[in-house]
Amino acid sequence: MKHKLGVLIGIAGILWPMAQLHAHHSFAAEYDEKQVIELKGTVTRFDWLNPHVRFYVDVKDAKGNVTNWDLELMSPNTLTRAGWDRHALKVGDTVTVTAYRAKDGTNRANARGNVILADGRKIFAGDAVGGDNR
Amino acid sequence: MIGTRIGSVAVVAAVVLLVMPEQSPLTARAGQAAKPAAKPAPPAPRLPNGRPDLSGVLNGGGGIAARNLKKGDEIVLLPEAKKLMDSRQSKDDPEANCLPTGVPRMNPYPWRIVQQPTHTESTHIFILFEGNVHSYRQIFMDGRPHPDDLVPTWYGHSTGKWEGDTLVVDTVGYNDRFWFDFDGHPHTTQLHTIERFTRTDLNTLSWEITIIDPGAYAKPFTVQTRAEYKPGWELMEYICNENNTNVPHIQGPAVPPGGR
Repeated sequence: MKHKLGVLIGIAGILWPMAQLHAHHSFAAEYDEKQVIELKGTVTRFDWLNPHVRFYVDVKDAKGNVTNWDLELMSPNTLTRAGWDRHALKVGDTVTVTAYRAKDGTNRANARGNVILADGRKIFAGDAVGGDNR
Repeated sequence: MIGTRIGSVAVVAAVVLLVMPEQSPLTARAGQAAKPAAKPAPPAPRLPNGRPDLSGVLNGGGGIAARNLKKGDEIVLLPEAKKLMDSRQSKDDPEANCLPTGVPRMNPYPWRIVQQPTHTESTHIFILFEGNVHSYRQIFMDGRPHPDDLVPTWYGHSTGKWEGDTLVVDTVGYNDRFWFDFDGHPHTTQLHTIERFTRTDLNTLSWEITIIDPGAYAKPFTVQTRAEYKPGWELMEYICNENNTNVPHIQGPAVPPGGR
């Protein structure tokens, strides 16, 4: 298991620069590269759909208020080629995500780096910053 | 256990470095360290009729990025085209709205050249795109001319011929709806493209594109791009508009203030 995990992390690290080109819309027109947020919460939905895989996370603040965040990943095909599959996340999983927040102030963000699960597993999320040169 | 993990990473890294495109920063670093230089890739394969075999799944290439401009060429917009470009908003980018990218813009997904038949001269060559809407280009190889009165379309009317080992594709009849890039570089229905496809070795397709559009640009310009053959890859389904929730959240001009 750890052997496989090591390979996955290795692939993720190496694919990172390649993945920067993978978005069908201008990153800078939707997300703020300078507004990096960290979210920890419970997965409520995982949509393995085009053009972007999305997952939704309930995040509880200090007062106990719960906010549902909409998190964007790359496309199903790009994630498949990077070693993901549609079973990678499950409703109820506890995850920690670093992400770029949407410029329009909605609870929407573009996940970057790795999505970290409660058991320590890391799943490559990619990084869409810098992909606008085309 | 940690040793195993590091070992695995190293093996994967070594394998991936071997197949990474040359322009990758990772390979550039490896290239400096590697002595002697890696063996050159095998030559481009040929069909039974002697023509180069361009068929296969490819990744990359296309676009009009300034870094790919032919030496001495420049992109000079006419005033009307400049005005149009300055007015464009990112939310209206056809690609963000899951419409085709036209020519020569590419979406970030693989594509496939299909050359048929293989036992005589090809009558058609097809380019199949995984993104943006599973579209395709049809290149007539039978010597027919462009029709006089073409309905403007996203991929236009393409005829191809061989110049030595280079496939030269001439296309007219484009509509003016697609953008050349995220910045919204425009064109008119006068757009005429001449593309030169050359499989320079087993792994590499050189794709040179000349843009001629007297309705939008003061002079023609040429971009020199490369795509990489991906023998282990297959095209996959990609239906862009099945859950495209991005558009209402996209804001601002196509060219961000201060440029990209």
